[in-house]
Amino acid sequence: MLNYVWVSLIIVGLLVAVGTDIHDLSSNTYRNEVPIEASLRVDRIPTALRPAWEGGIEITADDFNNFYGIQSAKSPVRQQVLLTTLSNGRTSVAITVNDSTPDFWKKRAENAGEKGTLRGTVTAIRFSDDKKTARVSFVLDKVEFVKLRAITSAAIDYAGTAVTISLGLIGVMALWLGVMKVAEEAGLLRVLTKLLTPLTSRLFPDVPPDHPAIGAMIMNIAANMLGLNNAATPLGLKAMEELNKINPRLGTATNAMCTFLVINTAGLTLIPATAIAIRAAEGSANPGIIIGTSIFGAGCATVAGLVTVKILERLPWYRKELESEPEIGERQNG
Amino acid sequence: MVELFRNIVNIISVAAIPLVLLLFLGWGIAKRVKVYEVFVEGAKDGFQVAVKIIPFLVAMLVAIGIFRASGAMEIVVAVLSPVTNLIGLPAETVPLALLRPLSGSGSLGLMTDLMKVHGADSFIGVLSSTMYGSTETTFYVLAVYFGAVGIKKTRHALPAGIVADIAGMLGALFICRIIFGA
Repeated sequence: MLNYVWVSLIIVGLLVAVGTDIHDLSSNTYRNEVPIEASLRVDRIPTALRPAWEGGIEITADDFNNFYGIQSAKSPVRQQVLLTTLSNGRTSVAITVNDSTPDFWKKRAENAGEKGTLRGTVTAIRFSDDKKTARVSFVLDKVEFVKLRAITSAAIDYAGTAVTISLGLIGVMALWLGVMKVAEEAGLLRVLTKLLTPLTSRLFPDVPPDHPAIGAMIMNIAANMLGLNNAATPLGLKAMEELNKINPRLGTATNAMCTFLVINTAGLTLIPATAIAIRAAEGSANPGIIIGTSIFGAGCATVAGLVTVKILERLPWYRKELESEPEIGERQNG
Repeated sequence: MVELFRNIVNIISVAAIPLVLLLFLGWGIAKRVKVYEVFVEGAKDGFQVAVKIIPFLVAMLVAIGIFRASGAMEIVVAVLSPVTNLIGLPAETVPLALLRPLSGSGSLGLMTDLMKVHGADSFIGVLSSTMYGSTETTFYVLAVYFGAVGIKKTRHALPAGIVADIAGMLGALFICRIIFGA
């Protein structure tokens, strides 16, 4: 199933991107080569050293919305601009992008490769008599294939993120693998697992009750409950390694692995610390109010996940995958 | 009551790791285990495990990245809107429900935005933070946990994980409507 989900994420993404770009191109969503008019307030006139007009432009919200065929602008668009006369006689316009810039323009700037500046060319300028104000028309630089560019950079960024995340695990991973090894040698995990055998033998009937995997899984679930993410992941991976030692068919998930994974994906935790921290930062009067509701929600997820995993593992379709002969080249993890 | 529970859990969370380290290493010494040598022996696998995860996580995150950047999410939200309207899931929170299993950082950003716009104590604010706390990033957990031991055939783990996500989201909606109304 993962194969299909994975490939559909990519294909749907690509199709939507191509579709959106073709639509943008045919309806000229970004108004390429169409001049927009703004009123200009001149702050500084050109000097010999600095041949540029500095000032601010203003476009009313209605004009901006009408021009782009959107409704998102609520207040007049006011931005700092720099008008520079180039050697070829044209005048370029550079708009500084800041927090008050409309999203539509922000996206444009990002797309053109410069987050901080939106560039274009002045097509007409008409100064008032005192040269303090002007009406200016300008065309912003062409923007094309927005979504295709976005998915390209997303693919590259996320590939890098994946490596950063993985390598970031090395330290905590080593720490917990070392600690667990000590616990194993000292026979501590066996003591721990004996206490919970009635529960674990039901959840993981295929795993011997005194196997080190059980100890690691208990510790992982405990760490998850307490919200200790730095400890939970290494302990979970340790548990997976132990489970893999009794995997008859390497490269394929066993029933115990699937059950353990579902417990982890349901993410039952006593204190949803991240959500509480954000609530507090957003000025909630009672950030902790979601503790009970989150435990209920994650409890639903855990129960539903466990019931599903136990039903699905009995289906012939999933049983077959575990029983068939291992293929050559899949036993490299032995 | 909630406050007391929170304090107790907080204390346990803060003390857990130091206590576990103390207990484990102390127990090891009591059992005459050469703790330093054994620790180092175990820790040396840390690098390999982390490196093994890389291809799995790259595959997963790139697919999710492409899907998100394409804007396909908006289309899925529109397609699902009859169902989500029927069960009373506020339209604003539908993207969060869909993104939660795919991307931890993405859903965190969405939750923060929802609270900024609607207020942390509004129904949408409470619901979105409950939803965030009601499940884990299924696709990430799957890639990391199975990647570490080279599992390529994931069998029924993903369908069960997705059922758990849906149950978590529905559970969050149900309990928030009962407790906070609206």
